[in-house]
Amino acid sequence: MTELLKTSLHGEHVKLGAKMVPFGGWDMPVQYTSVKDEVIAVRQNIGVFDVSHMGEFFLEGADAEKFADYLVTNDILNAPHGKAIYSPLCREDGTVVDDLIVYKLRPGKVLICVNASNIEKDFNWMKALHKDFDCTLVNKSNEYSLLALQGPESYAVLKPMMKDLPEIEYYSVFETNFGAHSVIIARTGYTGEDGFEIFGSHAAIKELWVHLMEKKVTPCGLASRDVLRLEVCYPLYGHELTDEVNPFDAGLGWTVKLTKTNFVGKSTLERKKAKYKLVKLTLDKGIPRENYMVMDGAGNSIGTVTSGTMSVVTGKGIALARIEIEKAPRDEVFNIDIRQKAYPAKLIKKSFVTGGHK
Amino acid sequence: MSTNIPANLKYTKEHEWALVEGDTVTVGITDFAQSALGDIVFLEVPDVGSELKFGNTFGVVESIKSVSDLYAPVSGEVVAKNSDLEGSPEKINSDAYGSWLIKVKIKNTEEINNLLTAQQYQDFCNSSH
Repeated sequence: MTELLKTSLHGEHVKLGAKMVPFGGWDMPVQYTSVKDEVIAVRQNIGVFDVSHMGEFFLEGADAEKFADYLVTNDILNAPHGKAIYSPLCREDGTVVDDLIVYKLRPGKVLICVNASNIEKDFNWMKALHKDFDCTLVNKSNEYSLLALQGPESYAVLKPMMKDLPEIEYYSVFETNFGAHSVIIARTGYTGEDGFEIFGSHAAIKELWVHLMEKKVTPCGLASRDVLRLEVCYPLYGHELTDEVNPFDAGLGWTVKLTKTNFVGKSTLERKKAKYKLVKLTLDKGIPRENYMVMDGAGNSIGTVTSGTMSVVTGKGIALARIEIEKAPRDEVFNIDIRQKAYPAKLIKKSFVTGGHK
Repeated sequence: MSTNIPANLKYTKEHEWALVEGDTVTVGITDFAQSALGDIVFLEVPDVGSELKFGNTFGVVESIKSVSDLYAPVSGEVVAKNSDLEGSPEKINSDAYGSWLIKVKIKNTEEINNLLTAQQYQDFCNSSH
């Protein structure tokens, strides 16, 4: 077995008594006290996640924006500097390599934040496409730590700690100083709540973590992060998104800008029709889990649950499920097979929980 | 990890506890189990009249993030089910030994010898961590 990687805050998590689990090759805190309490802290107040396992790539040079725009399906070129843009990263055949956030820091400088388990795959993929562009592509994942401060109190708690923190809009990014350190602060997150993600050196992030603990910010683990993102229906790579599906299959058509002149996968995605659709299902009884079978009213298998849990906010079972479009029931009657028993599931259009982000 | 292991109970390696009173065995999950699971949100146990077989699964307990099988500590017929837990399975988190799941009328009292004593269970928990 290969040794698990540790974030710069690993010792802090252990000291706090966090339950540690392997995740994408990293030894990560899954929960500190209670998943429920951590979810509630983020929805109502404030919580902090160590997400230093995620990857940071930097594009620098005249073509930085152009290269980013070519790599991903969403529109990077037309977004102003200081904006963050969520996008899938696709292959020529339209399948998804990863989903990521592109941060347009300033002219000629772009930060791309990718999923921890895909760092190598993404970097190799980008490296292979990079030669015609006048910019550098550097993987700085090992030099950066990352905290996600999430919840309605985030701005009030973070502002006094930073040299300068204007009230930037949601999905914006800003470079500032934290003590002697320069940090990148983005108003992004994976919980649906207002909040910030702070990229910095290991020393900077450790110092920030200590400050946040002094302010009694609730440390939150991966389990609550997963419940929070699922309550607001954000996809997770490896679940809703995989190497086998295209963005349309995962309900991400809004991120595919076919009006762009060119990007990897465009010619395929222009002709591609979705084979699947991602639906949101909620259950009054029973908890849906990944890979459980989804059935129509007559008991025919029509798809599978890609993510499922018990919502802390609604107190009900919630699921995202990949349904074959051809088999989608017109009467919208769904059942989920839980231990060989059909549990009725209700289709909903909006997310299970409405986050409070601005 | 919590090490609350009452001496008067018997245990399984799957972290169930059993209170043996004559031919009736009351079954629950241990404090160690509830602590490992975290917030318990769903419980599925058989109805009164169901037959359990020693070592087989008889239900599930679910936390927010996981599903765990329950294993029968003895064979026999379910004679009672704790309806208090139906709407509030989280009671197991606050009081694992006060939150019994089912009572079983034991078929073969010799099966009790398969169960661990408090000391043996304590050693088992220590060795698996």
